[in-house]
Amino acid sequence: MNLLDVTRRHFFRECGIGVGKMALAGLLADSLGRPASAGSVARTGPLAPKSPHFPGRARAVIQLFMAGAPSQLELFDHKPKLAEIEGKPIPPEVIGGQRYAFIRPDAAVLGPQYRFARHGESGAEVSEVLPHLANVVDDIAIVRSCRTDQFNHAPAQIFMNCGFAQPGRPSLGSWATYGLGSESDELPAFVVMSTGAGISGGSANWSSGFLPSVYTGTRFRGAGSPILNVDSPAGADMRLADETLDVVARLNRRRLAIDGDPEIATRIASYEMAHRLQTSAPELMTLADESAETLALYGCKPEEASFARACLIARRLVERGVRFVTIYHEGWDGHSDVAGNVRGNCQKTDQGSAALVADLKRRGLLDSTLVVWGGEFGRTPMVEASAVLGRSKGRDHHPNAFTMWLAGGGIRGGVTHGETDELGFHIARDEVHVHDLQATILHCLGLDHERLTYRYQGRDFRLTDVHGHVVKGILS
Amino acid sequence: MKCRPWGPLVAVLCEFAATVAIAAGPDFAHEVRPILSNRCFKCHGPDEGNRQAGLRLDVREAAIAELDSGARAVVPGHPLDSEIVARITSTDPDLVMPPPHTKVTLTADEKRILTEWVEAGAEYRPHWAFVQHKRPAVPDVRDAKWPRNEIDRFVGARLEREGLAPAAEADKATLCRRVFLDLTGLPPAPVELDAFLNDPAPDAYERLVDRLLASPRYGERWARKWLDLARYADTNGYEKDRERQIWPYRDWVIRALNADMPFDEFTIRQIAGDLLPGATTDDIIATGFHRNTMKNEEGGIDPLEFRYLAMVDRVGTTGATWLGLTTACAQCHTHKFDPITHTDYFALMALMNNADEPEWLIPGPENDARLAATRRSLESAWAALPGRWPATASGPAPEQLAGSSDAPPLPLDPVAEEGRRRAGLAARFDAWNRQESARAIRWRIVQPDAMTTNLPHLVLRADGSILASGDITKSDVYTLSLPPSATPVRAIRLEVLPDESLPDHGPGLCNYEGPKGDFFLSEFEVAAGDERLKVAKATDSFAGMAAHSKTTSTAAATIDGEMSSGWSTNGDQGRAHAAVYALAEPLPPGVPLTVTLRFERHFACGLGCFRLSVSDMEHAEAHGAVAAVEDVLVKPEAERTAAERELVFHGFLSLAAELEQPRQDIRKLEAALRGGQRSLVLRERPTDNPRKTFRHHRGEYTQPKEEVAPATPAFLPQLPADAPANRLALARWLISKENPLTPRVVVNRQWQAFFGRGFVPSVEDLGYQSEPPSHPDLLDWLAVTLRDDLGWSMKKLHRLIVTSATYRQDSTATPALVDRDPKNVLLARGPRVRLEAEVIRDGMLKAAALLSEKMYGPGVRPPQPEGVTEVAYGNPKWNPSTGEDRYRRSIYTFQKRTAPFAMATTFDGPTGEACVARREVSNSALQALTLLNDPMFVEIAQALGRAVMAADPDDGARLAELGRRVLSRPFAADESQALLAYLATQRARLAAGDLDPVKLAGGESPDVVERAAWTLVARAVMNLDEAIVKR
Repeated sequence: MNLLDVTRRHFFRECGIGVGKMALAGLLADSLGRPASAGSVARTGPLAPKSPHFPGRARAVIQLFMAGAPSQLELFDHKPKLAEIEGKPIPPEVIGGQRYAFIRPDAAVLGPQYRFARHGESGAEVSEVLPHLANVVDDIAIVRSCRTDQFNHAPAQIFMNCGFAQPGRPSLGSWATYGLGSESDELPAFVVMSTGAGISGGSANWSSGFLPSVYTGTRFRGAGSPILNVDSPAGADMRLADETLDVVARLNRRRLAIDGDPEIATRIASYEMAHRLQTSAPELMTLADESAETLALYGCKPEEASFARACLIARRLVERGVRFVTIYHEGWDGHSDVAGNVRGNCQKTDQGSAALVADLKRRGLLDSTLVVWGGEFGRTPMVEASAVLGRSKGRDHHPNAFTMWLAGGGIRGGVTHGETDELGFHIARDEVHVHDLQATILHCLGLDHERLTYRYQGRDFRLTDVHGHVVKGILS
Repeated sequence: MKCRPWGPLVAVLCEFAATVAIAAGPDFAHEVRPILSNRCFKCHGPDEGNRQAGLRLDVREAAIAELDSGARAVVPGHPLDSEIVARITSTDPDLVMPPPHTKVTLTADEKRILTEWVEAGAEYRPHWAFVQHKRPAVPDVRDAKWPRNEIDRFVGARLEREGLAPAAEADKATLCRRVFLDLTGLPPAPVELDAFLNDPAPDAYERLVDRLLASPRYGERWARKWLDLARYADTNGYEKDRERQIWPYRDWVIRALNADMPFDEFTIRQIAGDLLPGATTDDIIATGFHRNTMKNEEGGIDPLEFRYLAMVDRVGTTGATWLGLTTACAQCHTHKFDPITHTDYFALMALMNNADEPEWLIPGPENDARLAATRRSLESAWAALPGRWPATASGPAPEQLAGSSDAPPLPLDPVAEEGRRRAGLAARFDAWNRQESARAIRWRIVQPDAMTTNLPHLVLRADGSILASGDITKSDVYTLSLPPSATPVRAIRLEVLPDESLPDHGPGLCNYEGPKGDFFLSEFEVAAGDERLKVAKATDSFAGMAAHSKTTSTAAATIDGEMSSGWSTNGDQGRAHAAVYALAEPLPPGVPLTVTLRFERHFACGLGCFRLSVSDMEHAEAHGAVAAVEDVLVKPEAERTAAERELVFHGFLSLAAELEQPRQDIRKLEAALRGGQRSLVLRERPTDNPRKTFRHHRGEYTQPKEEVAPATPAFLPQLPADAPANRLALARWLISKENPLTPRVVVNRQWQAFFGRGFVPSVEDLGYQSEPPSHPDLLDWLAVTLRDDLGWSMKKLHRLIVTSATYRQDSTATPALVDRDPKNVLLARGPRVRLEAEVIRDGMLKAAALLSEKMYGPGVRPPQPEGVTEVAYGNPKWNPSTGEDRYRRSIYTFQKRTAPFAMATTFDGPTGEACVARREVSNSALQALTLLNDPMFVEIAQALGRAVMAADPDDGARLAELGRRVLSRPFAADESQALLAYLATQRARLAAGDLDPVKLAGGESPDVVERAAWTLVARAVMNLDEAIVKR
């Protein structure tokens, strides 16, 4: 038994981070004064790549989270009937006991605010405020029959991400990286970006909950360096960073030899990884190597934070082996002037979202990248208006029916799945509950949502709790 | 406290005791139950609702009974006749257990164990944690010299059994650092280190321990651990995540731990301090423990749903903190593994569910002084008010009084000005008095003879006012029956009144999302019998005030049949107002009236205090004057007393438009009067308005079923029959002698704090699903000792642990030992664990001599990188504190739930969203980046560099000082060599201008190159693994 064996076993067993093969081999060689056999130490630790339960089509996920809840009735779910009966209430028997945030159940119906048309070979119906998405409808599956249990933003966002409405459980991205590990030595496995306003559910949306904290989403800031503290202190340079890392590593290796705690080896590897992040993060964010044509496709400026730029960075992250990327765009909460709200948000997000699908496709990445677009719930067929709150022609929160779309890795393009009733109030066919969506996303990654479990407080927890069915109808 | 005997478990246990005979076969507790629990109980366990084939395997008599099918799952001694064996070994997918669809499979080993267990007689043993402890005998060890106390004899005996020997004692410096970090959460300063190293007395270490236990830093250190369990934070959580006032609770915890409050008292006060006879202010503040639940203030939420979710959290947290039971698992259905039924869960909730949740104004001399001073200022402000009357040449016409004042510029002659001022005031008052007297209405207060609501609790008081309390909803309805009047009724007046019991003193009940103390009266309805009476006109005093003349929320909006419009007096919290409803047709005498008040908004906003009056006079309208003034105004001038005249003048001053600006000072003082330091507490509800608890189907708020009476779980000892089943009973039960769980849970958690791992690693769960304890006898011995010998003193327990030879071992791990026992379960070496986020930050601050020892008070904001909080709702800014608040201990860092302090999160600190009994210990690249580059740590490195420079002019001595400050030891020769080489390189590069010394040192100075160089060396040392571990 020697220290190298122990350390290697430790890495296999319980180490804290994924480690580059060479880095680890190198540090062990240094610490012991003799070369380690490079092939013997694989990438290990909780972020090491892991085999899926079955071969998955998607290797990565880009989640475009439309926080605030877009109006499906202005975007995807065309309900001419609402125009016909505009101004009249919905029959109470349709509404049942549904609770609302702001409106009364007897509020009048509001007709669709935009015209719809069919597009592509699939003839998918989307509204006029999505001109860019209309160009890629044959690559996406539109699910018009989504349903959630929650009708307030924070709980619903957390529910969409974590399968549970209160903070404290692991998020989708955490489960995915827990299940599959990372394919990047240089970047975090789970990256979170945001545009628009602050997010109702806050950091609970990318929390690792009770999973080890290495699975927490790493938030990229919109301005400045993306990762907190990735910049060396003012006045420093790269050589200083190298030399500092060097002296720290030397002293840590000495300590490892004395104390024998394999965690010290992990610490050394963490610093190596940190050092790589300092190089890879700026490279990632510099869009100088993107062509003018690509920038035009997304409609973004290289230096200016925007949703479209975040989409382009998401593509770059996926190219570099990042497992899960979420972009939050908060601002869809159209309690008043839903038409203006939808138009404004589409101007910010339509081109970027569609460009992401098109760009991934032409680079051959769409087959292995799952793109998921949607909010935390839908909006009411009824109007929201209130003199006290200064609101008119808005729509309230509607958990019973809303629309999302998915594309790429494992998803059949050109599909429109599910249907709502003629008022867009309830789901009429092929309901897709949030837990079903989660099961489907994991399925695309090759993970069985019933087998992806974690033992916590005496119980094997799942993202989908005791629910969830894979939505076969949208799989390719 | 006397408890009723054990529940059904007693009988079961007696049976076990009688049948314990067979020695052969696998060990039930260690080998068999984990398999049954993990693989079988989900469908064949305590949960009746989900039980398959009528088979229950968690109770022996059920397991061996004949099933409906005629088979027997377990035939003791006869595996071939036992259905369980047939099924687990079957290859038929229709027969095999567990069934394929569950995706649970048994390993060959597990099948073998179960089969051998059946063969050996299928004996059950009670679960160790549910059995009453008795004090185990302290074992003997062969090496009698090693043990320092009983702990060591348990640990040593186990090591001897395992063929291992304990490690040597750690060297003095290492031990000093370890015990400093453990007891105070801070490393020793060099002078403290030296004091210990230079103390040759044999009890030097014990005396050091006593000093540390007596240090105020001890309470700060251990309170942080308790606050993890309490899910403490300074904001409400969820979307809005607004700031809350509960830091007085945090300070209470620190004080209680520093005072070594015994854990039983510590428990009782936090669960039920308000219910103690003669409860003190501190006892009430202590109930903040269960007010650390989150509160959702998002627009349009159902407040009672989130109150229910807070109760769910309380049940789960109580289970994890005291019982070591995953009670939360029984929210939706009977526990799948442990014997907690669905009803047990809600019975436990019922014990805690009967409390109101006020923002309690902390009484005491401080508050009294504040009130007295504010009242004095208010008096002076009122007295000065007439003197601030504008000196216009002549007062405006009386009819303009309610309108705005456009006073011309002041003239210059002061004497003439004062004369004009007085004359103007007198003229205006005179005109107002005449006008208001002429239109004043005589009102008669009516007391309802019946009051009903959908939920809020109404109490009629002697002065005819009605006070509301209890739970409120987004749609509240008050129905008030008024007795017949002897005179005709032409108008009804609704006074809305302030009361100190209401949020911001009312008059409304709104306590979340909307403005505190606001109300929103959507509709006012009056009926005689079934006949709705028409209101001709509705007016109110609020809209009548100049400052609110533009409001659309007027009394008129309460008779428009539209629920979304209504009346509010928001902005005038703490003041009385009135709405007057003039009936279209007078109601003849002798007819009873029914008044219905409807309150509906996207937040709950019923009236908190109000009063009804009627009048038989015509032309009733609301004016600005409050009821008391109007009552005088109806009297002829000659009949008014001096005091009444004063009151009328006061009423005039409070309304005159000319004084709108000067009155702002008075408003501010009045607001200050309503302010004061508050803390979130529990307050048992009044006996006439208890809250009912129901079992909720599938645990869902929207599915309440039958009512459930308060009780402890049936499988545990029951509450005494002779006391009310409430929070106080629960609190006393938790620490009663009959409860076998709490002392084990507490001791296990303390052990984890020192050794990085509990005897049972899942410190929040000692149930069936937990790993068996590594040292069961030591755990029980410590549990009994803590309760019976140490009087629940945590300091004594901590002293016992840190003075043991076990704790004092060197933590160096040989490769053989790491391989044999990687997690140090057997304790053949001392603990080596990464420090918690707070200890890392505080320790670095102390090393740099920056740490402030200022204790208590509101949360502070140390610097953190930009952009951390902006992601939360509303893009809040984080404005770093200045002065010593920048360097306070981390327990005082402001904790925002949706955007926690970045450095703490990176090092696995909690968010305050859930009870945390055991923190993750991760090791990540982001941690490296934080220590290297976070501006806070760079600032610390700069200060640390300056501090070591000040200590000595010599590089070697400076380096030694640096080592002692950060690592509690000087560097070894090869380390020094490496660091001095690094210093030389950077010094040269700084001098040459390759690196920017001013930026790196954090400012200009004559010795800036040296400062920058030592900043860099300090930063490197702060990044050593050893700097952030306890070893």
